[in-house]
Amino acid sequence: MPDGNGNGNSDGDSSPTRDALEPKIAYAPGGGMAARVERSNAWRSMFRHPTLDTPRGRALQSFSNFFLHVYPVKVPTRVLRMRYSFRLGFIAAVLFVILVLTGVYLMFFYTPAVGSAYGDMQRLRTDVGFGQLVRNVHRWAAHLMVLVVALHLVRTFLAGAYKRPREFNWVIGVVLLVLTLGLSFTGYLLPWDQLSYWAVTVGTNLVQYVPLLGHTLQNLLIGGAQIGQATLLRFYALHVAVLPILVVLTLGIHIWRVRKDGFAVERSSAGVFEEEATARPAPAVPATAPASLYGGRTRVLGVVDRQSVTAEERAVDDTVFTWPHLLARHVVVALGVAATVLALGVAFAAPLRGLANPNLTPEPAKAPWYFAGLQELLAHFDPLVAGILVPGGGLLTLVLLPYIDRNPSTVARRRKVAIIVFLGLVIAALALTVIGTFFRGPGWRFVPPWRHWYVEL
Amino acid sequence: MATSRRQFLRRGWEIGGSLLALAAGWTTYESIRPLAGSATGAKLKLAGPGSYPPDTATYVVEGRLWVANTGTQLFALSQKCPHLGCRVPFCESSGHFECPCHGSRFDIGGEWIQGPAPRGMDKYALSVDGANLVVDTSKVLPGPDRGAKAFFKPAKGPSCVPGG
Repeated sequence: MPDGNGNGNSDGDSSPTRDALEPKIAYAPGGGMAARVERSNAWRSMFRHPTLDTPRGRALQSFSNFFLHVYPVKVPTRVLRMRYSFRLGFIAAVLFVILVLTGVYLMFFYTPAVGSAYGDMQRLRTDVGFGQLVRNVHRWAAHLMVLVVALHLVRTFLAGAYKRPREFNWVIGVVLLVLTLGLSFTGYLLPWDQLSYWAVTVGTNLVQYVPLLGHTLQNLLIGGAQIGQATLLRFYALHVAVLPILVVLTLGIHIWRVRKDGFAVERSSAGVFEEEATARPAPAVPATAPASLYGGRTRVLGVVDRQSVTAEERAVDDTVFTWPHLLARHVVVALGVAATVLALGVAFAAPLRGLANPNLTPEPAKAPWYFAGLQELLAHFDPLVAGILVPGGGLLTLVLLPYIDRNPSTVARRRKVAIIVFLGLVIAALALTVIGTFFRGPGWRFVPPWRHWYVEL
Repeated sequence: MATSRRQFLRRGWEIGGSLLALAAGWTTYESIRPLAGSATGAKLKLAGPGSYPPDTATYVVEGRLWVANTGTQLFALSQKCPHLGCRVPFCESSGHFECPCHGSRFDIGGEWIQGPAPRGMDKYALSVDGANLVVDTSKVLPGPDRGAKAFFKPAKGPSCVPGG
């Protein structure tokens, strides 16, 4: 018998069960090479179902494809709209894939050693086919990933998509943001030039302000008292192995939960889902029902989570097949993202300053742009406040947000306070980052970018 | 109520798993923590005390430190700014240490004058061995608090940081 996934129990081509599942008419007719390959046992052992333009055929595309298992078979129609989520989560995932591909390429030409790392970067420019371009794309994709993940967080907040039942997925998202920053920051040191050396010096020195554990954490991070070979090796291992593995695992859980939670909230009728879930009346007991069934001895056949029931009971007409509707859109967006980073890589080269020199601090020495706001804050406030309380408190608040904000509504007009406070903090962080990145010169003095450009990305 | 076999086994798994996680965490920490003095820690033998004129700072590249003579005392000052780790150069014209990164300034004795640095410049233990100075870079002494003004003298000339 065929199972729920449409797989027959027979191995033979002549099996009536298999033929019933895969009508011969669906295979390419004719005697051409392509058609014969498609009809062959070898082909059908790999691709078990032909492309059938029927609802069942489209479902089989998802069921029988390893890679499409990340998607549900059907998605709510609203998911297809661009402005539904601006595809920010998907774009971040695409950028991560681009980073992995370009990063693996770069690994073939790079040795994480103080004596050779800078030379390897120079050789990427001169001796490696597409070496400079791949490095540029890697750099731009890294910057964009930080930006897109941050925007994804802001959009998720504004949509109220961190509320029940998505609380934990929001927490996972915050973890992914931290991992993204970690990935970008550890990669920053690898060129071993003046820019990377001093940016990482400033960045790692932020850690020393953690009360009690600051110096231990800093030593653990850089592998000693000063940035050197141990630091480069640590950052390399974190950058190419530890953090990517953590991102893949965490991203897997994140996407899985998005599916389980029925995708993001409906923007047009936000809040309804919540009310459905919490105010569902108990099923009425039919007057004619036998006492043995309802009032007497009963047997529990299964326990179904209430949220899952709600998600399942959405209007079935409001869904479309993932393949091809959502998949086609994702392919277009992925190509757009790839084209964007490629264009940026062609237009703007990743910087490479002189060889790292611990005895020569450039003026000014700035942390990477996503930490420049923190650096700006440190110029105004006590290190305990600017280095620990603000970033640590901010991160903790983000993690606890879904559990602090008990307002069940996802409608903006019923969440005015939360949205105003959140946007105020976002604008403050943005202003600090812009000032630290664009408006600071030697001695951390205020220098407008139109007077002198002290920005390095 | 007596503990059932299932409860006992479950608790055993929980405790065993926790101990295993703890052991794994500790082993990882022990493996990756830097050994003491692996980056610095050498004892540097330098020229004798008479080699450092008053109110000047001499850079010692091997130790990434300054030997500063305040006129009354010698100090071995770490070149690392206590704010965010930039190298702090000595400005001959002003007679102060001036950090180019974020504008912190220190007097010849490494005491804080202005800027975001939380304290004065860190020091290394300094001793005299016969005709030589010996700096023990394994012993870092945190810089003086911001209020310290024992060696402060006003800037004798212009700052080395543009606009400073």
